[in-house]
Amino acid sequence: MTFAHLEARADEIIGLYEYPRAAMLPLMWLVQADQGWISPEAEGWVAARLGVAISRVREVLSFYGMFRGEPMGRRELKVCTSLSCRLRGSEALLETIEDSLGIKPGETTPNGSVTLTKVECLCACEMSPMVQLDERFIGPVTADDTGTVAAITQDARSEPDSPAASPEPAPFIDSSGPVLSTRFGDPEGVWFDGYTAQGGYEAARKVLTSLKPEEVIEQVIAANLRGLGGAGFPAGRKWSFVPKNTEKPVYLVVNADEGEPGTSKDRHVMERDPHALLEGMLIAAFAIGAHKAYIYIRGEYFRPAQRLQRAIDEAYAQGWLGADVAGTGFALDVVVHRGAGAYICGEETALLSSLEGGKGQPKLKPPFPAISGLFGCPTIVNNVETIACVPFILRHGPERFAAIGTEKQGGTRLFCLSGHVERPGVFEEPVGVTLRELIEERGGGVRGGKRLKGVIPGGISARILTAEEIDIAMDFDSVGAAGSMAGSAGVIVMDEDTCMVSTLDSAAHFYADESCGQCSPCREGTGWIHRIVKRIGAGNGKLSDLDDLLTISHDMEGRTICVFSEAAAWPVQSYIAKFRGEFEDFIRSGRSLPSASAREVAHA
Amino acid sequence: MPELSIDGRKVNVPEGTTVIEAAEQLGIFVPRYCYHPGLSTAGNCRMCMVDVENSPKPQIACNLPATEGMVVETESEQARKDRAAVLEFLLANHPLDCPVCDQAGECDLQNYYMSFGLYDPRFGEQKVKKQKAIEVGPHVMLDQERCILCSRCVRFTDEITKTGEFGIFNRGDRAEVGLYPGETLDNPYSANVVDLCPVGALTERSFRFKARVWYLSSTESVCGGCSRGCNTELHHVSNRPHLNDGERLLRVKPRHNPDVNQWWMCDEGRYGHDWIDVDRLGEVRRRTDEASRRQVESTWEAALDGVGTALSAGGARVGVIASAELTNEDLFCLREVLGAHLGARIALPPAPAGGTSDDFLIRPDKTPNRKGATLLGIPDAATPSAEALVDAAIAGELDVLWVFGHDLVELVGAEKTRAAAVGECLLVYSGTNDHATVSLAHWVLPSAAAVEQDGTFVNCDGRVQRVGRALAPYGDSRENRRFLLEIAARTGTPAREDWNGPAGVFATMAEAVGSFAGMSYESIGDQGAHSAPSEALAEAEQS
Ligand SMILES: Cc1cc2nc3c(=O)[nH]c(=O)nc-3n(C[C@H](O)[C@H](O)[C@H](O)COP(=O)(O)O)c2cc1C
Ligand code: SF4
Ligand code: SF4
Ligand code: SF4
Repeated sequence: MTFAHLEARADEIIGLYEYPRAAMLPLMWLVQADQGWISPEAEGWVAARLGVAISRVREVLSFYGMFRGEPMGRRELKVCTSLSCRLRGSEALLETIEDSLGIKPGETTPNGSVTLTKVECLCACEMSPMVQLDERFIGPVTADDTGTVAAITQDARSEPDSPAASPEPAPFIDSSGPVLSTRFGDPEGVWFDGYTAQGGYEAARKVLTSLKPEEVIEQVIAANLRGLGGAGFPAGRKWSFVPKNTEKPVYLVVNADEGEPGTSKDRHVMERDPHALLEGMLIAAFAIGAHKAYIYIRGEYFRPAQRLQRAIDEAYAQGWLGADVAGTGFALDVVVHRGAGAYICGEETALLSSLEGGKGQPKLKPPFPAISGLFGCPTIVNNVETIACVPFILRHGPERFAAIGTEKQGGTRLFCLSGHVERPGVFEEPVGVTLRELIEERGGGVRGGKRLKGVIPGGISARILTAEEIDIAMDFDSVGAAGSMAGSAGVIVMDEDTCMVSTLDSAAHFYADESCGQCSPCREGTGWIHRIVKRIGAGNGKLSDLDDLLTISHDMEGRTICVFSEAAAWPVQSYIAKFRGEFEDFIRSGRSLPSASAREVAHA
Repeated sequence: MPELSIDGRKVNVPEGTTVIEAAEQLGIFVPRYCYHPGLSTAGNCRMCMVDVENSPKPQIACNLPATEGMVVETESEQARKDRAAVLEFLLANHPLDCPVCDQAGECDLQNYYMSFGLYDPRFGEQKVKKQKAIEVGPHVMLDQERCILCSRCVRFTDEITKTGEFGIFNRGDRAEVGLYPGETLDNPYSANVVDLCPVGALTERSFRFKARVWYLSSTESVCGGCSRGCNTELHHVSNRPHLNDGERLLRVKPRHNPDVNQWWMCDEGRYGHDWIDVDRLGEVRRRTDEASRRQVESTWEAALDGVGTALSAGGARVGVIASAELTNEDLFCLREVLGAHLGARIALPPAPAGGTSDDFLIRPDKTPNRKGATLLGIPDAATPSAEALVDAAIAGELDVLWVFGHDLVELVGAEKTRAAAVGECLLVYSGTNDHATVSLAHWVLPSAAAVEQDGTFVNCDGRVQRVGRALAPYGDSRENRRFLLEIAARTGTPAREDWNGPAGVFATMAEAVGSFAGMSYESIGDQGAHSAPSEALAEAEQS
């Protein structure tokens, strides 16, 4: 194997970063795209190019799900089996695909044409159940939709560059605005001309020519913009933590690692309205004094990354990025950095570790990133959606943004409705919308007229709410007060026939799979919990398992480097607390008895 | 200087001190696996969690900066629960194979379980299977199942040796420590990872199944492998020699000394001690037949009389080839008895060129006490080279040539060595091990090794450090200084009574030699002390 033809591109890539080592993931992507996998020779080449020990390369290769340590099929068909897809029939879909291709997940067809892989959430929950063929998302596709399944498997067996036989997705995507989705109407995206025709970059021009950084921060604080990545921290306040007059460079890092099961929002911003993100980044970078920004985008997001890059290229060409932005003397460079399949990289310090070229392992705090983040320099990490709200605030004034929301949280959010609703999709709503309104009005209620059993309001990490608990506003504080969290606004709806043991198994599997493995309680606890839940699911549970699950999950809380461990504990605790009877009946009978009626029959 | 309180006791610490360090100042030990003062902070094991007033969550003491007014509890109900929980997680997938584990007895999983664990085990699932008994390098063995993923070994090869051999691969509970396939852990400091590993995941191949650690005795000493003088602990058994084919020194461990070796030592120093129990000289010998130069066993009485008589013959011309392997006490006695009184010319062969070295610990001079010799004026400016002394012996210009440790064949070649041995000059040899010169000598006086005596060395930086007697002198061997005093008695040298013990010799030396002025055996202690800069030293440095 030779790498001579990759050297020039490798030089270019390394040149984008402050330190060669940060080019680890992109170089590995480069080799993998070229050779189909990352061979030991390729590991050696990467190590030599970056000046690191080869064991560092192997660490990275083995940590990220998308890097291949051995040759695979010419194409890869990934089937999502995470909760949202599972609720809408991904297990049956996977079986059908297995039968059709004649292989099991992890296997490659004998002629080497396609590898079948079972994956965790691809954050396309509005189109669940869905699959990904190489770079393309396809959904919704169910097992009984034989035409589509046949087209997909047919496609999968053909050569990668043959025309796609399967249809593009067409789930419901809001475009009614008022803040984030206004330009979502065209699935092909709004580009520079379209964006400026609608007043794009006016806010950035105003900021760069007439405001001081402090004034920008004041406006963002006044707008009550909260971090929409999940934690809800006030964005303007975070920006104010960057030390003034620091000698070190300051970095803006946009978190586009969208990975929380049940979530689908950032991808639409990047695919359909990428310039809104770039304009928001210009304003944020100006406010914090950054001249270099990275967008860390999850590895599975091929098309969003390509569209984002196209928008960046346009912005450079139009003078809206580079050494002298729009003739104002302000400089900003933007680099898109692709992840490689690790949910934990959404956690901001893990994201920084990954961006620095390592495994996606969260870092100890203190120090906090605003003081010492990327490459040891002050760094602000914000979610895509958070940043995409910023141009609106600077253009229309903070009062208007604040007025849309609740007292302590301004604006709107992109809610992703998935699971058992009539109309799954992505809906932009003021943050004070109630969960009931979302499910009943926007989502058209529970599918097939069934009764509601439970809702996860903010991505799989959020505690479950029962049918009686949905009259709450969806802003961070209200959902928090109801004992759960607004999180990533991924709303997963479950009807009365949903088996909670199976739901917990889905969550437990996810966390066991995705724990970065550093902290003893999280590494061991997630695996332990998953093994117990699996055993219960196989009909071998004991009643004492339930208390063990509660205490083990309790022991995982508050004792780790990042809050992933808590996130893994909450589903366990809340599902068992709210549906204990169902768990006990499952353990006693050894089978799924999801609805009250089913349980009554079983007891009779 | 923030003041904080830990377990109800107040302590003032410099800004930037962590709580684990502050606790140490109070003598409060916070249990830990991943934390090590010589490595960066990883904070992954979560064992050092403490209870901090007004903090909703437990905090890891290793990464918690001490602040003014902070109130920390390490023994509260909460802190105990936190530690027990972490231990239960760590032991969940642990194989619990203590009966066949070399670490048993010095394992922090065992120790902490007894002190901080003692919960009712709940884990009843299938454990994650990993690889056991992998030889990762010439000295180190890895058992992945026993590993608790504290990452100390990874940080060591990353940060200290910068060789990067170790990695932790995969994630979640599939994470495992190891080397890149086909790589070996063969950097010059590889075995330190064994000391760092808090459990039995990394063990020493040379110590495998040799002894239960509770049978070992321990003596503080200093490595003689090069002029760095890394501080060591010698682990030995004297009462169960049958277990290890007579091997008495079972392993050497580095001992912390912030000014010399921090926590580390090199593999060469750690494993270069086979000679202590192999090919040793254990009996006095004398030449019986001039023609065949046959040697037979003799006695100390006969030898001391024989050599003493030769030395005290009127106007005897004496040459001595000293060795930088000798302790200061030996060298001082040698200087006083043979040099000052008998007028011997004392040569000291220079360190052979080409000794390996690095910019960390390993020094090119593979002797432990050249600086000590220099401070004692050995060799002085007027002394001829070792070769000149041998030439003088061949030319009949010497009556006695006394060689300490060196193999003349290596110094001057086989031909000259034979020529010196067949001449009129009495060839006396003292040393620890057998080599070509030994069989050519008229008298062979077996010396005790450095690990068989007390004394001091001066390392490359001028630090005076004590070696410790871990073992009894091999066979019939004796400390050099002891038989030199006997020679003194037989040659009318005014040796002092209080020279009998090493402390006594040192005290005299401190009076006589400016560089040691004001020091005593006690004041050197277990961490060593700096000798005063001397002119001789400065000169030696120049050349
Ligand atoms: C396990 C875990 C996963 C996370 N995943 C994401 C993610 O995919 N996207 C995101 O923006 N933030 C994610 N976060 C939150 C980030 O750590 C961080 O708070 C956020 O990016 C800050 O941006 P914001 O203030 O704009 O929300 C995650 C946090 C944790 C603990
Ligand atoms: S809590 Fe889990 S995911 Fe977070 S750092 Fe620790 S092991 Fe990694
Ligand atoms: S082998 Fe030992 S030192 Fe290395 S990570 Fe495992 S437990 Fe820690
Ligand atoms: S560096 Fe020198 S003194 Fe230290 S252990 Fe190695 S040989 Fe011994």
